[in-house]
Amino acid sequence: MKSFTHVIADPAGLHARPAGMLAKEAVGYKSDITLAAPGGTADAKRLMAIMRLAAKQGMELTVTCSGEDEDAAAAGLEKFLKENL
Amino acid sequence: MGFFKNLFGGGEEAKAPALNVLGAPVAGEAVAISEVSDPTFGQEILGKGVAFRPSEGKVFAPCDASVDLMFDTGHAVSLLADFGAEILIHVGLDTVNLKGQHFTVHAHNGDKVKKGDLLIEFDVAAIAAAGYDVITPMVICNTPDYATINIHTGHVAPGDMVLELGK
Repeated sequence: MKSFTHVIADPAGLHARPAGMLAKEAVGYKSDITLAAPGGTADAKRLMAIMRLAAKQGMELTVTCSGEDEDAAAAGLEKFLKENL
Repeated sequence: MGFFKNLFGGGEEAKAPALNVLGAPVAGEAVAISEVSDPTFGQEILGKGVAFRPSEGKVFAPCDASVDLMFDTGHAVSLLADFGAEILIHVGLDTVNLKGQHFTVHAHNGDKVKKGDLLIEFDVAAIAAAGYDVITPMVICNTPDYATINIHTGHVAPGDMVLELGK
């Protein structure tokens, strides 16, 4: 299991577009990937679940990857979040 | 039309599985999702669906559903249909940046809604005047759960069939 945190920098928060891009990125990995935010936890491969977190700018997300490609998944998602959120 | 005849009219053939139907959430013109300039929608990253050029600023429930997330900005809403589809209706492009201006929310997280219930009101002219494209995509977030997604385009009134979903 591999996890890291990311504080949302996007002033609009985790809205539809970044949520969709995040789900698309997550689906590319075999690992189970969960997102934990103050509003709850979500399967990072399910767009609706990600949006339901209603995560805002300044909130901390904890991303946990678990599975055969967890190192690559964590690295890929960390890069994605830094660049897009 | 032979294809449809086979699907729906052929007497001796196995009946096609029932399709679930979504109505238009707004009045206006339904167009292919590929006409949405934002690639997140146009390239179906969020899922397959249909888009609308709204003629009136009211979003209605496309089917019986529960409100999964009403964005507090009122620019988008996600719904969980009673039949299981995960639906996102997004009014305009980049309208998250309006921070709720020109939008009035009429439903809240967890509400049970019936097809045709008013969800959001928005000021089409004011949003367009602020420089935003008001094209309104409706996408199926759990697209992989459906083998069949039929799209109907053209002029629509709220509730007119625009999507048919089959497992």
